[in-house]
Amino acid sequence: MTRFIRPLFMLAVVLLVVFAISGCGFRDIDKRFFVIAMGIDPAPEGQKGYSITLRLAIPSPKIEPGAAKTQVETINATTIAEAIRLLKSHVDKELDFGHCKLYLFGERLIQTDYNDSLEWVSRRRDVQNIAYVAIGRPDAKTIMNVEPQGERFPGNTIFLLFGNDGTQSSYIINEQLFDFLRRVGEKGMDPILPIMRKEDNGYVVTRLGLLDKRKLVAELNPQETEMYNQIRDRYAKSTITANIKGDTLVISIDRITSHYKIRKEGNGYVLKLRMNIGGIFEEAPRGVYDQDWHKLEQAFNDQVAAEAKRLLEKVQRAGVDPFGFGLRYRATHAGNSQTWKEWESIYPTLKFDVKVNVDIEGSGLVH
Amino acid sequence: MNRYFYYNIALVSSLNLMLFVPYLLIHDRYEGAVSSMVCATFAGTALAFLYSHVMKVFPGKGMPEILSLFLPKFISVPILLFMSLMWLMASSIALAGYAVLINRFFNPDTSSMIVLMLLAGVCIYTSTRSTLTVMFVIEMAMIVNLPIVLFILFKASTSSNLDWDAIRAVAQYWKVPPKFEPFAASIYVFTGYTNYAVFNRLNPHNFRIRYRWLIPLICFLVLLISFFVPIGFHGTEAVASYLYIWSVTSDSLMLGYGFIERVIFLFLLLFLNLTIVYTTTGWHIAMEMVKSCMPRMKPQIDPARTPKANWFIASAFALATLAASYFLNEKQNLTITQYWLMLRVYVEVVMVFLLFFFSLRAGRKKLGT
Repeated sequence: MTRFIRPLFMLAVVLLVVFAISGCGFRDIDKRFFVIAMGIDPAPEGQKGYSITLRLAIPSPKIEPGAAKTQVETINATTIAEAIRLLKSHVDKELDFGHCKLYLFGERLIQTDYNDSLEWVSRRRDVQNIAYVAIGRPDAKTIMNVEPQGERFPGNTIFLLFGNDGTQSSYIINEQLFDFLRRVGEKGMDPILPIMRKEDNGYVVTRLGLLDKRKLVAELNPQETEMYNQIRDRYAKSTITANIKGDTLVISIDRITSHYKIRKEGNGYVLKLRMNIGGIFEEAPRGVYDQDWHKLEQAFNDQVAAEAKRLLEKVQRAGVDPFGFGLRYRATHAGNSQTWKEWESIYPTLKFDVKVNVDIEGSGLVH
Repeated sequence: MNRYFYYNIALVSSLNLMLFVPYLLIHDRYEGAVSSMVCATFAGTALAFLYSHVMKVFPGKGMPEILSLFLPKFISVPILLFMSLMWLMASSIALAGYAVLINRFFNPDTSSMIVLMLLAGVCIYTSTRSTLTVMFVIEMAMIVNLPIVLFILFKASTSSNLDWDAIRAVAQYWKVPPKFEPFAASIYVFTGYTNYAVFNRLNPHNFRIRYRWLIPLICFLVLLISFFVPIGFHGTEAVASYLYIWSVTSDSLMLGYGFIERVIFLFLLLFLNLTIVYTTTGWHIAMEMVKSCMPRMKPQIDPARTPKANWFIASAFALATLAASYFLNEKQNLTITQYWLMLRVYVEVVMVFLLFFFSLRAGRKKLGT
């Protein structure tokens, strides 16, 4: 009897497993549409809800510049979830967000209130936390419709632009979704988003948008963006400039450090920022080799410090804290509910004391 | 033999992520989680040291045998059944939790019940093996998986996205007096030693546990990492809004030049292994406790044939797990875990002290004779 029971039992187990597999939602890759970027805009005037634009990758066996093909779909609905469901009936394949690398908020949306649209992004399980977030100017749809010429495979330009594998520009600050969500929630640090705009048939990212917990409040120009990158991320592949007696001198940075402390002085608080920068000349008038480098360094110190201070004061006037000074204050002061209230009263009157120490290491290849 | 002891400790402490321990700690991050963690380190270490003393006094004897030496059957049987229920719950919560996780992150189209059925099927087989085999399985699983655990932890704690200011800001709340819930959650990390309630049967006569100072070291480190790294990644406020906090944290990591970009897949596979081994161990211990209540059942560490009772008991465990996860939703599951963690503290303290008391009496008897 046991001779029969054992094989029968094994058969039952195998059947159980087989049924379970057929019940899985594994769908072949040729029946899926991979979303590579998603744009969220407010619905057109007079309507409620959102206008969602998806850029879908069309798989292609060829990998060569210009071979990338994409399809762009736009739809209006009252909620994002509904828009995605509706969009599914416009396309013939299952939508898959597993490769979506960019979530783009339209400028009009971010200027009013972005909190509601975040709900969908943070709840959805196949939204990658390492995806990039940005602002689309003038709106997300325009950016989604850009088809860069040199793309080897769909979405490649976006991945290379924001990741560190392709271009490394001191004006591009990549913001990943988890960091954006962290900043939105954090007490003592406010969100930032790079602004992406269309130019010819490509993207340009040079400016940084400063947001408070609800909307966009200020914008940094390219120079300020680079400064932000240098102070916050100690971004070394960048430059500093100074004007000395009518000449413009540019130093390309090799190493950069920045530290800051928040100290009580007198009856107010002072933020002491110290930067150490070392590098070599990239642009300078002939004969810079024979000049007194100490004096040049001094000029750089003063001008860079003034530039940094201007940025800090601009940010402070906008009433936001993209550097996370408040978090640093919380990290270095006693932990209780009072600490945060104290900081809220300190920040508007906080004074900045910036000292920069530039070290010129060489004059490049010529005198 | 020493390494087997530490495998158990490492297994249980790394499983804390599955049992919502970081979630519960982070929930109380401003209300005494930090000081509770420190208290739990002292309490957990003390319990582990007492327990290892008990094991030294009764080499080769599991908890059922020790209890039957000192207590009449009608007292020891309910105790053993209750203890087996505790172990069953621990492993079933982890298993059911993992099935839900698969449903959330891997494939939302598969029902979590089917995943759970498959997992339970595997665990029925593995947990019915002999005590010795289970021990070997733990060893192999730890050797294969611990490097990956260390890799992910290394990757997470050296990431440039880790915000040390957020970590320091939460650490500033160390002065807040400890609370029981976070204390109960964090002492779970130290609890690996209790698995020796059955595995002590494997120990020879001259057995000694060395390097016991490793226990507080390893466990406290695990505790710190599982609490502070998510805070570093998600900030002091947003961190509390995530349910599967470590899955989300591993999703925030990127493997730049690996064969997969999202660390979460590595993380989920790793925890699949660990959860299965943990459930195997838990069910096996619970099964041995139930078996020891039956008359005429002798403890065997490596019988030639698997007793029929093993299959019956393990299948009953699997059915109970399936039924529980069928009737409970995510929210109830979390509440039960929370209460289970708190109940555990009482049970464990009573158990350890009872056994320690017996070990003292046994020592005195030896001196007398």
